[in-house]
Amino acid sequence: MTEMVVIQSKRNVQSWQRLGGAKARTILLYVIITVIAFLYILPGLGVILTSFKLNSEIAREGLWTLPKLLHLDNYKEIWTVANVQTYMKNSLIVTVPATIISIALGVLMGYVFSKLPFKGSETLFIFVLAGMFFPPQIVLIPLFKFYNGVKLYDTLWPMIITHAAFGLPICTLILRNFFSSIPMAIREAAIIDGADELNVLVRIMLPVSLPALAVLTTLQFTWIWNDFLFPIIFTQSDNMRTVMVGLISMKGQYSIAYGAQGAMAVVASIPTLIIFVFFQRYFIKGMTMGAVKG
Amino acid sequence: MVRNRRKWIILFSVIPLAIYTIIVIIPLVSSFYYSFTDWNGFRQDFNWVGFDNFTKIFRDKLFSNAIQNTVIWMAAAVVLPVGGGLTLALLLHEGIWGANFYKGLFYLPICLSLAVIGQVWIWIYQPDWGLINTVLRWVHLDQFTLAWLANPKTALGSVIIAWSWQQIGLAMVIFLAGLTSIPSELTEASEIDGATYFQSLRHVVVPLLSPATIVVVALSIINSLKSFDVVYMMTQGGPFHRTDTLAMFMYNESFKKYYMGYGSAIAVVLFLIAMVIIAFYFRQVRELEHLYD
Repeated sequence: MTEMVVIQSKRNVQSWQRLGGAKARTILLYVIITVIAFLYILPGLGVILTSFKLNSEIAREGLWTLPKLLHLDNYKEIWTVANVQTYMKNSLIVTVPATIISIALGVLMGYVFSKLPFKGSETLFIFVLAGMFFPPQIVLIPLFKFYNGVKLYDTLWPMIITHAAFGLPICTLILRNFFSSIPMAIREAAIIDGADELNVLVRIMLPVSLPALAVLTTLQFTWIWNDFLFPIIFTQSDNMRTVMVGLISMKGQYSIAYGAQGAMAVVASIPTLIIFVFFQRYFIKGMTMGAVKG
Repeated sequence: MVRNRRKWIILFSVIPLAIYTIIVIIPLVSSFYYSFTDWNGFRQDFNWVGFDNFTKIFRDKLFSNAIQNTVIWMAAAVVLPVGGGLTLALLLHEGIWGANFYKGLFYLPICLSLAVIGQVWIWIYQPDWGLINTVLRWVHLDQFTLAWLANPKTALGSVIIAWSWQQIGLAMVIFLAGLTSIPSELTEASEIDGATYFQSLRHVVVPLLSPATIVVVALSIINSLKSFDVVYMMTQGGPFHRTDTLAMFMYNESFKKYYMGYGSAIAVVLFLIAMVIIAFYFRQVRELEHLYD
């Protein structure tokens, strides 16, 4: 009996200790996470703060102080003097069609692989999927030669075409998996009612596939917008630069105008930041699914 | 009906497969072909040189240097994102209020271009007014201030850390997904049995996280093979080729020096290494699936 009591009271003490410990632990956790988070955003913060400072302010106080006022001079400067409008326009002209085309191609292939399997389609599927893992360097030289040959070098076309092709594997994979989750019976019923495959795809499959399409849109848009490997290989003149290549060339042109450089980095990131903030759920899902493509 | 089906299969797949073949497959095969030539990027004609480019590769000090840097990068790419991502995931998995806000914060660099990330980190490392040196001077540790990106000893590490800033968020999300799939009864049971937090972490949580770990490791290794963007932005391979990765080296040889035959050979080696790693990864994943059957 006494033993029981002793054990019981020991347990009570332990659980009380645990409770007190739990509170201390939570506070400690907050402190640790907040410190890490602060250090984590510090690099980005420097760029944002500097973009709102005047050059005189930067010269006097350096980069790592709070601006007295939010000056928009740097933004005005890059928007009017530098070629940023052209860069942004080029990036849009590349990113929007390439995103749409790669997803459209993926819709078609995904439908074939999930709803119209044929002998050898599994092998073909793996063949298409493999493209996801190819380092892009393996195609650069032949594509450089090819685009030169068809007189598309130094236009925006090579980026649209190349990104559409390189997006095909991930789009096909995600859409095949999504379509596979839609029962085959639905397609068969529609076919018996006289619909053809295109009708089934457009009227039945696509309307319920919006989540998958949203995931792919955020993913593809971000990748294509942020890429600068293809633009530096396939373009040359300033008027054909996308915004990320523009950012690099600005580094030379405005080598000591840090405020302008910061403003440029912010402006270049705004489209993907908007996507990140408003479609974070789809974005994270896509990034984890397409993780290996990186 | 069967004929109709075949018609739709062809109608649907002809355009995607044509584009994929022209832009991905044919260039891939051509790279292998060019790697046996001395093409310089401009001339129409070029010569078949057999294995010359490959024997040159294995004698080229710059190539072994690029391999060495890439291997260092890979090792760091396993340690930093796995360690950092796992730590963040474990902290955020405790279920504190506002966890989603912090998750979003750590995840944010993923939506930034490596061009922007390079820019951001140049300002961290800049010798005169960069953040690190500013802080070091502020705490009177002036003797430790360095030109981080221009110093051959610190350049590679500095670039890798900048790159990891992005990768850690991605690793964190994958680990969080893995943690959510571990039933909380298991960790609770081990704690009731008297295990400390770190004991239950080591013997219960980490083993159960191994699928997520394999994904993160594979991802980091594959991504580190492609590491080009951030190097291009921050150092262009310098100082003295100390930050030359395979991808950067291939770019310089092909598009700066226009040794396109040689560049193709480097691309082929890069491609083959990537394929070996990916084959290994898929074998691992398949074995894991067997475990769960």
